[in-house]
Amino acid sequence: MKQPHLLRGLWQLNQRLSQRRMMQAITAALRLVYPFVLVMTFIDVIGQGFLMKTGFFYQIYHIGHWLPGITIWQQGFTALGLVINGVVAVMIAFATGYYLARSYHGDALTVGIMSALAFLTLNLNYGALGAAHAGVSGVPPFVTTNLGPQGIFLAIVIGLTVGWLASHLMRGLATWYLRHPRLGQLGWTGRIAIPLMSVLIMNGAIGLGLSWLNHGGLNGLVYQGLSNLVTNPGHRGLVILAVTALNNLFWWLGLIGPVSLAGNSAVTSLQNLAYAVQHGSGWGAPNPITLHTLGDAYANFGGAGMTLALVIAIWIGSKQVSYRRIANQTFLPNLVNLNEPILLGLPVLFNPILLIPFIVAPAVNIGLAWCAITWKLVPPIVYPVPRTTPGPLMAFLGTGGDWRAFILSLVCLVVSVLIYLPFIQVLNQEGGSDHAA
Amino acid sequence: MRHNWWRWLLGIGLILVVFIPSLAWMQHRVTHYKSNYKTPLNPTIMVPGSSASQNRFDALISELRKETKVGHSVLKVKVATNGQVSYTGSIRRGDNQPFIVIAFENNQDGYTNINKQAQWLNIAFKDLVKTYHFNHFSALGHSNGGLILSLFLEKYFSETKHVNIDRLMTIATPYNMESDSTTTRTAILKELIAGREQLPKKLTVYSVAGTENYSSDGTVPANSVNQGKYVFQNQVAHYTQITVTGDNTTHSDLPQNKQIVLLIRQYLLQEELPAKERANNRSGIVRRSITGEAGLP
Repeated sequence: MKQPHLLRGLWQLNQRLSQRRMMQAITAALRLVYPFVLVMTFIDVIGQGFLMKTGFFYQIYHIGHWLPGITIWQQGFTALGLVINGVVAVMIAFATGYYLARSYHGDALTVGIMSALAFLTLNLNYGALGAAHAGVSGVPPFVTTNLGPQGIFLAIVIGLTVGWLASHLMRGLATWYLRHPRLGQLGWTGRIAIPLMSVLIMNGAIGLGLSWLNHGGLNGLVYQGLSNLVTNPGHRGLVILAVTALNNLFWWLGLIGPVSLAGNSAVTSLQNLAYAVQHGSGWGAPNPITLHTLGDAYANFGGAGMTLALVIAIWIGSKQVSYRRIANQTFLPNLVNLNEPILLGLPVLFNPILLIPFIVAPAVNIGLAWCAITWKLVPPIVYPVPRTTPGPLMAFLGTGGDWRAFILSLVCLVVSVLIYLPFIQVLNQEGGSDHAA
Repeated sequence: MRHNWWRWLLGIGLILVVFIPSLAWMQHRVTHYKSNYKTPLNPTIMVPGSSASQNRFDALISELRKETKVGHSVLKVKVATNGQVSYTGSIRRGDNQPFIVIAFENNQDGYTNINKQAQWLNIAFKDLVKTYHFNHFSALGHSNGGLILSLFLEKYFSETKHVNIDRLMTIATPYNMESDSTTTRTAILKELIAGREQLPKKLTVYSVAGTENYSSDGTVPANSVNQGKYVFQNQVAHYTQITVTGDNTTHSDLPQNKQIVLLIRQYLLQEELPAKERANNRSGIVRRSITGEAGLP
């Protein structure tokens, strides 16, 4: 199959990377976690989309009016959603450590547990330890937000570090004892206890040291820095473009969610809403170019990276059975902008081929929307839309039913699918037993 | 390929099932936002009583500015007998709680004059709404100014669509003119009672009376102020009567009376008063988001 130079180069890069132990461990770990996350996301789809007061389907079907016992349903689904969502990063830390240790033919299960513990150690609520001594109860021992999806990046890093370190430490200890028989036999417990102690002490020291800098642990530090960098892009289109690209890069790395669809309540959005209410439409609104009017409305179908377009591109162009299956399974979550399953399932994370469309497609859409709004082809979105609104409807509903905005949404979707398509076709070459259905 | 047609049918059906309710939902939301939206600009319209000019409230305003340390800007409006509106002062940019004083060239007392003044008030009001685009306001009337405002609310206010009045405070307003009687009703009271159904249903009214002795503030009989209940009670959302006694309670001193300045700050301007200044417990004043509902802005 003839391919442009760039794509061939990418393919080679992908091949080379996927030969590496670390990439294999990451991919295997993400694939292991995928079904869990998929189940959780379906619960979230129902919980957030249908049962929450802010959910799109809750509002359009007036579910609160006819579903008996709505609060019980809400509580039940929130509880279920919390279980896996709350600890998905711990699972990934475990799985990454496990698979890396297995590739070193080490004691995989033990190393996996160690990396999960190491990850938890880094996310201890060090600030609250003093409080526990002082007899103050009710402070959670862990920084719980870091254990969810936003901790995935750190979990992978810890999984790889501990996986490598502990495997080598355990092997080294064993050989050292073999060489020095007069020290006696190293027991099973000792073989585990010594590396575990060293890993925990190391991570505890890092975590404690960082807690003097910042309250949210290491993850909090990374996250806070990124959030400060990206949450306030102002009015200028180029800055918005850069911020979105950077944000999508972070998502690709597993730093999920520094910028999320919170634009409804930003000051600029409120000003736009006030204007629209007084003048009847968004034409001439005071802040036509913001992250909300560009990114949320036209570049977030399915979530960061226009993953709804990725699903459609797979339907059209992929010959990989596993890809098609994952696309089918994650279509519904993608429709309501919950794209964690497809990010972990394909996986999109750490996939060098998909990185390019993952960043380029939203950027192109923002560019299109920017032009269209500046040239007064469409009004900016002004009315608040629920987070779970299907992406292509967002601009239409947010403008109060402007058909031009709907057409622009469809154009954006088609363009994104076209951007994803060649990369999906490159991935068709990926073969091997693990991709067979 | 045989089963392809029903897949398409299912797809189209699904799209319609989402699309049509969302259209209805959107229309509902948009009207909801429009009807619940309040402009940040929330002026207080002040109408002085008979024989008083647009400078009548200067003492009150400087008192309010001194107390609140908020630089409420003042726009003074004068309506000539031919309906010509002239302005002095201005609403400062960024000041969302300005005072607008509306006075009349013909500021004489008497039934026909007051009715004319209500008409002139309407002219000025429409001009203000057109210029400043506010959609809610509060009003303060001293003496006959309260009558002018009440008449305006009954007879002309509905001409201006999409504007609501939140609160009205009248100070020593003689709803039954100079009559001390509790049984005979003067022409203006009869007219106000006849038109009371037209009063805005969500309006909150405070009627403040001052008394030098047990029956009058020196000009207006307390009984005449009390007759206001036959106009507002059971017509508006809340009607509260307050009587102030003590120093500075003669009719013309009332607008700058310390107690009444406090009442204006507390009830009309809805300021958060420091605890020591809070004469009564303020309750029921809830900060709202601009759309008045939780969850969405």
